[in-house]
Amino acid sequence: MDPECAQLLPALCAVLVDPRQPVADDTCLEKLLDWFKTVTEGESSVVLLQEHPCLVELLSHVLKVQDLSSGVLSFSLRLAGTFAAQENCFQYLQVRSTPSSPCRETPACLWPRRPVSSWCTSWLCPCEVEPRGSPACRGVTGPRVPRRSWITLKSPCAPRPPPSSPVFSSSDGSLWETVARALSCLGPTHMGPLALGILKLEHCPQALRTQAFQVLLQPLACVLKATVQAPGPPGLLDGTADDATTVDTLLASKSSCAGLLCRTLAHLEELQPLPQRPSPWPQASLLGATVTVLRLCDGSAAPASSVGGHLCGTLAGCVRVQRAALDFLGTLSQGTGPQELVTQALAVLLECLESPGSSPTVLKKAFQATLRWLLSSPKTPGCSDLGPLIPQFLRELFPVLQKRLCHPCWEVRDSALEFLTQLSRHWGGQADFRCALLASEVPQLALQLLQDPESYVRASAVTAMGQLSSQGLHAPTSPEHAEARQSLFLELLHILSVDSEGFPRRAVMQVFTEWLRDGHADAAQDTEQFVATVLQAASRDLDWEVRAQGLELALVFLGQTLGPPRTHCPYAVALPEVAPAQPLTEALRALCHVGLFDFAFCALFDCDRPVAQKSCDLLLFLRDKIASYSSLREARGSPNTASAEATLPRWRAGEQAQPPGDQEPEAVLAMLRSLDLEGLRSTLAESSDHVEKSPQSLLQDMLATGGFLQGDEADCY
Amino acid sequence: MPEIRVTPLGAGQDVGRSCILVSIAGKNVMLDCGMHMGFNDDRRFPDFSYITQNGRLTDFLDCVIISHFHLDHCGALPYFSEMVGYDGPIYMTHPTQAICPILLEDYRKIAVDKKGEANFFTSQMIKDCMKKVVAVHLHQTVQVDDELEIKAYYAGHVLGAAMFQIKVGSESVVYTGDYNMTPDRHLGAAWIDKCRPNLLITESTYATTIRDSKRCRERDFLKKVHETVERGGKVLIPVFALGRAQELCILLETFWERMNLKVPIYFSTGLTEKANHYYKLFIPWTNQKIRKTFVQRNMFEFKHIKAFDRAFADNPGPMVVFATPGMLHAGQSLQIFRKWAGNEKNMGTVGHKILSGQRKLEMEGRQVLEVKMQVEYMSFSAHADAKGIMQLVGQAEPESVLLVHGEAKKMEFLKQKIEQELRVNCYMPANGETVTLPTSPSIPVGISLGLLKREMAQGLLPEAKKPRLLHGTLIMKDSNFRLVSSEQALKELGLAEHQLRFTCRVHLHDTRKEQETALRVYSHLKSVLKDHCVQHLPDGSVTVESVLLQAAAPSEDPGTKVLLVSWTYQDEELGSFLTSLLKKGLPQAPS
Repeated sequence: MDPECAQLLPALCAVLVDPRQPVADDTCLEKLLDWFKTVTEGESSVVLLQEHPCLVELLSHVLKVQDLSSGVLSFSLRLAGTFAAQENCFQYLQVRSTPSSPCRETPACLWPRRPVSSWCTSWLCPCEVEPRGSPACRGVTGPRVPRRSWITLKSPCAPRPPPSSPVFSSSDGSLWETVARALSCLGPTHMGPLALGILKLEHCPQALRTQAFQVLLQPLACVLKATVQAPGPPGLLDGTADDATTVDTLLASKSSCAGLLCRTLAHLEELQPLPQRPSPWPQASLLGATVTVLRLCDGSAAPASSVGGHLCGTLAGCVRVQRAALDFLGTLSQGTGPQELVTQALAVLLECLESPGSSPTVLKKAFQATLRWLLSSPKTPGCSDLGPLIPQFLRELFPVLQKRLCHPCWEVRDSALEFLTQLSRHWGGQADFRCALLASEVPQLALQLLQDPESYVRASAVTAMGQLSSQGLHAPTSPEHAEARQSLFLELLHILSVDSEGFPRRAVMQVFTEWLRDGHADAAQDTEQFVATVLQAASRDLDWEVRAQGLELALVFLGQTLGPPRTHCPYAVALPEVAPAQPLTEALRALCHVGLFDFAFCALFDCDRPVAQKSCDLLLFLRDKIASYSSLREARGSPNTASAEATLPRWRAGEQAQPPGDQEPEAVLAMLRSLDLEGLRSTLAESSDHVEKSPQSLLQDMLATGGFLQGDEADCY
Repeated sequence: MPEIRVTPLGAGQDVGRSCILVSIAGKNVMLDCGMHMGFNDDRRFPDFSYITQNGRLTDFLDCVIISHFHLDHCGALPYFSEMVGYDGPIYMTHPTQAICPILLEDYRKIAVDKKGEANFFTSQMIKDCMKKVVAVHLHQTVQVDDELEIKAYYAGHVLGAAMFQIKVGSESVVYTGDYNMTPDRHLGAAWIDKCRPNLLITESTYATTIRDSKRCRERDFLKKVHETVERGGKVLIPVFALGRAQELCILLETFWERMNLKVPIYFSTGLTEKANHYYKLFIPWTNQKIRKTFVQRNMFEFKHIKAFDRAFADNPGPMVVFATPGMLHAGQSLQIFRKWAGNEKNMGTVGHKILSGQRKLEMEGRQVLEVKMQVEYMSFSAHADAKGIMQLVGQAEPESVLLVHGEAKKMEFLKQKIEQELRVNCYMPANGETVTLPTSPSIPVGISLGLLKREMAQGLLPEAKKPRLLHGTLIMKDSNFRLVSSEQALKELGLAEHQLRFTCRVHLHDTRKEQETALRVYSHLKSVLKDHCVQHLPDGSVTVESVLLQAAAPSEDPGTKVLLVSWTYQDEELGSFLTSLLKKGLPQAPS
């Protein structure tokens, strides 16, 4: 404990035991307890108590004081628990006849009160880890609340038993019988979680696993059976009798049916990627059932029985089930399956994306599932092109995507753009994809969305267009679109300069950084001009995340000009320094020319910490780089740093020093050396509120509360 | 037994981090998903393990409802939906939907980037979370599913704040969120119809306060600001971007106009301009005065208030600056505070440290800042006071009340007041504590026209509000309940009528023959029961209405006669009366 805090402690303890003194809120007490926990981790509790008798005083006093607030009482008891977690301290407290026997000391009537029972938790927790029979465990088994929860934890019917729980790995046959019985007599709500838990276990009798899997499959089997025209493909659970309870639940009401199906689909989704999932895994039937569920929801299924008809009515338009089914369908893409299954899945996804009734949340899930199916679809080996199914699918997909890009809900437009970005990121190089995309109006529509009224959509459009442009897909290659191909940079630059929202501007900076990194034509044509323009726009931005991204772009440029940052891996073979692209003076002149120093020095004194931090890292990197050119450092003894030093206060004030590119490289270098960048870095590493968060500040606050806190202190909300 | 269960995960006997779980007729709803400003670790969020232990969140919860955009009501939402994994619908009003992501984004920037916190939600998560939102209009009944419906009511407090009624069948709960029962300069007062919910869950921030006149506080504020700028001082007003800031802007704007003042007023950039934009956009949510004058002059287009540039802080001379955040813990307001705190001419309304009287503050890098400026604390918060809360309870007429979003001591006071004055049960659970309320769901019963007509035919006109006894047979058929006449019930159910008779033996000392005994009984009853129809039948038996009496002589004792009395259950009263009468014996016959 630092001396400042030690000095404040007695006064604070006095405030705490005085019921007339207003105590700060529970949050402060919680934080105080946190602090004591850290202190006791670092030093012996006994020593702490010996050095600060006011603490023992507090602990023995609180139980005697009438009218003490429940918050303080709870705090003190938990504090006692924290100290008593060290056995010698427990004994120390026992000798001093303080809360060593809290059950006796604490009035029985207080037990139902929450703060007192909460103390037990903190009291018991340290004790549970002590060896059995340790004196610390004696006398503390009285509390009712934590004991009960301890039993619950160990109960074999807990919904999610740990995979290798000792309870379950035991070879005790009667236990498995109990579980099997539970599985057959529990209601449908609890059956699913238990079945899933069983299937996740490593050591478990096969018969029980089979039973559990049947329980999980039952609802989907019912759905399949109710809709499949005889003779149809094999069902999920052919040969086993229908479970009457499942059918009853499915038909009872819309909400119970939706609930059961959602749970089932979610459980199967959780099971699918696990190594211990049942084998053989009925991939085809599950896919069939999921497709059927989706068809029942959108009303396109043809029921084969009265149960099916009933299901049709119940599930029609049920968004909840649709979402769960789409999630599971997406997961099913990870399994291998025959071609017709892929066709089936893609067909139902397309239907879903096309359906005018699909809600925005359903469309988002449909896009996600489609992406998963497309990216996992089998490719012809040795051929860079997509499989035979995909080109046809894409030709059908893009008109639907076009429609979705014009949807009245921003959520849908945004999801469609995100889908487009992802797809072109992965498939931008595939001829089939390029062909289908450029034949559609999707790129033009995405371009129009740069002007969307919703800022989220504008940002997604920026990202999508940046991605398309990187792959030469943002406009058709025909000559009449030449202008469109060229104007994108200007358009994005315009967004960066004038958009009122941060998201689109941030997205633009990310795109520009990517472009610079990947040597995009617009960036590579005249890199210096590109960087200068972008940095100038970014430096004026009010959103610090845009400025931080500007530094990221500057770092990429630095790397390209001076060579990549050195790796600090101790095991890496020390490679000879990569020869820089150009001589240092020339490189520095380029950095000055693009206004990088101006931007970085300004950012160093930015009021937003992450910007300053990033700039500090950038300048340190630069300084290290230059240090390797020892010749230059020694060549000039004392360069004229006056001009740069004169601008320093103006940078501090957050102003642009002078027109970019006007500094002398030598002057900048000299200043770089004169700044205590390491010191600055460690100052910046601390969070902005580290002073406010310090224990000393907390103690001061709590002491100061004494004189305040009347009336409307909750005004901040 | 049907019941409503309520468990606060936050705001149970505390202010901040509102999050209340309600189970009603098998549906689970989460009301608000707020965060606690005081913590930097996971304790800032409600303890969701309480729900996740029941299995998957999306399966357990039917919906989440957000009452308004303040972070203590919605700050944990992206964490809950994108990190804990809730995938179901989230309901809020249109203004809340528009403003909520801005505040969340702002909060993220402060938490993640300024404080360097990891494991926090990202911009993408905020967006994904907002995609799950379903926006609702005031007084629009929204069907969450076939059984659960919700409805929003105007709550005042801040733009877009709403109270929500949650209803399943005939059971309902109303959650107020934060509300204000008196209109202010830019918003109206909360209002709800007499919906008589089973339970009203109300905030109780000002449970013990009866607020003084708002006009006084406003006058005081204007006076102090005016004095400071007259002296040439600068005024810093740390505010939260939305809500009170607009209130104070309107106040200052009007004052500046009236006094013809030229001192510049600035608004910290970014967030607040956006806020004003939303106030303009959602003008129907503001109060009547603003809506009325909107055509001639938009109250949110300020003449005297300009956007602030950080260079302005160094300008000489007086000025007034509204800066965010209101707690002065970071950002622009803190920067300006640092610049101005050293001058006693200046004035500011600031964070808790300065409020609690500390005049020397340690800032970053161990430098100590001495606060010489004047510090004033003024409350313009828009919560209902004790009177307002009582008024709302009176308006909605709930069966029970449950208090949240307040301090235990103040709640205790209000609880007693509600129970004594309104005779309504009142609860105040702590966080994690469950209150269970039994409900008696009303079951609709149809009544047959025939039965009603028969009742009417008896000549008694039905009187409103006066209960009346009506006999009929309740039949349950095809999960319907109907009250019909017994004849119709028999017919519908295909049953035959059975008659139930009670019999009893009464021993009489009489040596005469049976016929004579019967005759004596007849004349005795005839004389006692003057209003009843007493008959002596040819077979010797006597009847009184449906009651039948027969005399018989037991063989063993000729001095005693046994009187057999039998009656139908309809004449139970008469039958009992007769037996007790006869047990007293017959009057002596004149010999």
